[in-house]
Amino acid sequence: MSYELVQVLDGNTFVVSDKCGDIEPSLVDATGLFSFDTRFLSKWVLTVNGERLNALSTDDLQYFETRFFLVPGTGTVYIDAKLSVIRQRAVGNGFHEELTILNHDEKPVDLTVRVEADCDFADLFEVKDALAKKGSYTTRVADGRLVLGYERETYKRETWIEATAPAAIDEHGLTFAAHVEPHGEWTTDLHVITASGGLGFHLDRTKYERNAKKARPIMEHSLEKWVGDAPRLECDWAWLKTTYQRSLVDLAALRFEPVAFPGQSLPAAGLPWFMTMFGRDSIFTSLQTLPFTPELAATTLRALGQRQGTRVDDFREEEPGRILHEMRFGELTAFEERPHSPYYGSADATPLFVVLLDEYERWTGDTKLVRELEYEARAALNWIDEFGDRLGDGYISYQRRNETSGLENQSWKDSWDSISYHDGSLPGFPRATCELQGYAYDAKMRGARLARLVWRDAAFADRLEKEAAALKRRFNRDFWIGDRGFFAVALDADGRQVDSLNSNIGHLLWSGIVDKSKARAVVSHLMGPRLFSGWGVRTLADDEGRFNPIGYHVGTVWPFDNSIIAWGLRRYGYKQEAARIAAAMFDAADFFDGRLPEAFAGYPRELTKYPVQYPTACSPQAWSTGAPLLLVRTMLGLEPIGENLIVDPVLPVGIGHVELLDIPGRWGRIDAFGRGRVDTRKKSLTRQELGILGEYKPTKTR
Amino acid sequence: MADPTREFFAGLAAQAHTPLLQSESGTLRFDLKEGKRTQRWYVTVRKGDVAVSRKGAAADCVIHAEKALFDGIAAGKVNATAAALRDAVTMDGKVGLFLFFQRLFPGPSGAQGDDRPVAGYAKRRP
Repeated sequence: MSYELVQVLDGNTFVVSDKCGDIEPSLVDATGLFSFDTRFLSKWVLTVNGERLNALSTDDLQYFETRFFLVPGTGTVYIDAKLSVIRQRAVGNGFHEELTILNHDEKPVDLTVRVEADCDFADLFEVKDALAKKGSYTTRVADGRLVLGYERETYKRETWIEATAPAAIDEHGLTFAAHVEPHGEWTTDLHVITASGGLGFHLDRTKYERNAKKARPIMEHSLEKWVGDAPRLECDWAWLKTTYQRSLVDLAALRFEPVAFPGQSLPAAGLPWFMTMFGRDSIFTSLQTLPFTPELAATTLRALGQRQGTRVDDFREEEPGRILHEMRFGELTAFEERPHSPYYGSADATPLFVVLLDEYERWTGDTKLVRELEYEARAALNWIDEFGDRLGDGYISYQRRNETSGLENQSWKDSWDSISYHDGSLPGFPRATCELQGYAYDAKMRGARLARLVWRDAAFADRLEKEAAALKRRFNRDFWIGDRGFFAVALDADGRQVDSLNSNIGHLLWSGIVDKSKARAVVSHLMGPRLFSGWGVRTLADDEGRFNPIGYHVGTVWPFDNSIIAWGLRRYGYKQEAARIAAAMFDAADFFDGRLPEAFAGYPRELTKYPVQYPTACSPQAWSTGAPLLLVRTMLGLEPIGENLIVDPVLPVGIGHVELLDIPGRWGRIDAFGRGRVDTRKKSLTRQELGILGEYKPTKTR
Repeated sequence: MADPTREFFAGLAAQAHTPLLQSESGTLRFDLKEGKRTQRWYVTVRKGDVAVSRKGAAADCVIHAEKALFDGIAAGKVNATAAALRDAVTMDGKVGLFLFFQRLFPGPSGAQGDDRPVAGYAKRRP
């Protein structure tokens, strides 16, 4: 299909259709109604008198609701239609579609309206691979509805299709005899219900119905409430406000309700194919959004804590204390052809779980949750040394237990060639990447704070701090490449340094594991021309063997990565540099209507003049959505200290003032104000401070 | 003859308290089908304290499964979450309670490193 696709969604239920609202089996694009990682409708085609319709316009009313304006007759250049067809679709427990036909003629008209429906019940994992199904299909017409079904042993999924207008229902669809008076209208409601979805889910109606004023505005209202509850941003830089608003709305769409915690939501990883709980992505997004929407962090902690590993299972790579990587609900997972029930192959989610718990308490003062998760936090800290340290050398390293379907790289740069030596060759396994050691250090320090403050266990706190100090000493010795002045991206299985220059060193600043004496050199590299492109810090420096400006983790710029790096720069007092990264990101966001993509190409800024998007199927992506929020935090220098919120703004040149009003936290609500310099001589998008590309000298300000 | 289900519940009863359920309270009822008969177990959880019985009253979550399948879960041979996804285990009521409870099932034996201590120093201070 070459035409644009339209997506609407509610949690992990979403519809991908063409711009007429039709769904057809396609090998190129994955269209359909999906829920719980299963396709519940693979064909949904509307015809009037046997003819397909032509789209005049598509109107995205909300992320869960779309309206399609159609006319009969396809392929004509000029259409003088006597009929209009309107489909209005709202997603929730399947979808509800209002189908309306308007007759613009002076004569009445009799029409045959037909909706064809079918379903392959493909697992999301199968959609692209076009695998043959192992179960059998059933189709029946019963109780005034068409029921499409699929069964494999005990596994059973059903889609129910109903209409409010009288219809002749057969096994392939519904036919309506529509009589429309002159200048009159004919209408019906169609309900497509994801009736059976596993884990005890049985539904018999869609969430939305016609004129159901009570039902329809619930999500709309909650979207308004969501945006209304978040701090308000005022700024003389128009596109910062746009980006901020866009981020809040996208975050609302990315909310995912875990099965065990009805009514609560956490950030799923991305839309639409990653609308599920991910350890790493959900934690990072929760960290980024804490000052704005702290309830996301609370649910992330509860849900990940609840599914924390308790046993050793090689297939799922589960280990006691380990925080999961990804949860899936489809058929392949159900029959253990995929390990996502859940899958635990992540080396960073476990220490980051403790980091998030502490950061959450610093902002909210919610010691109740810290007490509730004491067991899980201790088990996570225990995992670091007990299971994370695979070689017994005091460092977290990873090597997959599941050799068939497990992930090779279990850190955030998870593509096959993401970790390389300076000469471009790849190390063996296990691999101890540097940022994992930073996260472990931070988890121990923060765990110690919680142990002292909330769990009242001073001995445990002392032990953690002692371990953290020893780790920091070792790390600054073993990972530091003295003659090049930065930290190795990893140690290989022999303890040898993997000696390429990567953005990972920015995460080390965030974790605080870098010796003060080494910070300046690290900052010089981050802001120097080999890593800094003008649009942000590249994943891999441009003089490394494997560098490719459009390589997924080997040269592109990731907004999420940059937001964490900016946070790290602030931690070590490099405020101007943090502001510079914020400026680069907000400039880039303007090219994408405020929605930062997962990654963009690592070309130098003066070469392309605009950020070249890396092609990806997933947008918005949660941690790219969270990046502008974290950058607002770092720009304003927001830091909770005790019961107070410290505000220490350094704004990029060009922003005169930023106000963030009603910041929620343990202090109730508080406002933050920042003033900056505006260079009135320059109006160019490529601001002066972003253009320079010589060796960089950091300007530390205390 | 070995009865992993019976052993699992007996082990749970002997444990009396488990920190894995310390934030949960509620009653689970397991209806395990053996041919025409149904074996029934009740587990009541109160902030990590667990009591096991064969008789009980109202349950917050009722779990249905074949006894033979549940034997596999109790022995660590069958993964409870995957079984629930393929409707081999079904639930009525508070599904979340079962999702907490599944943490107590053992892992597959023979996995690398399963002789290691489980969550070493996860001990609550008085």
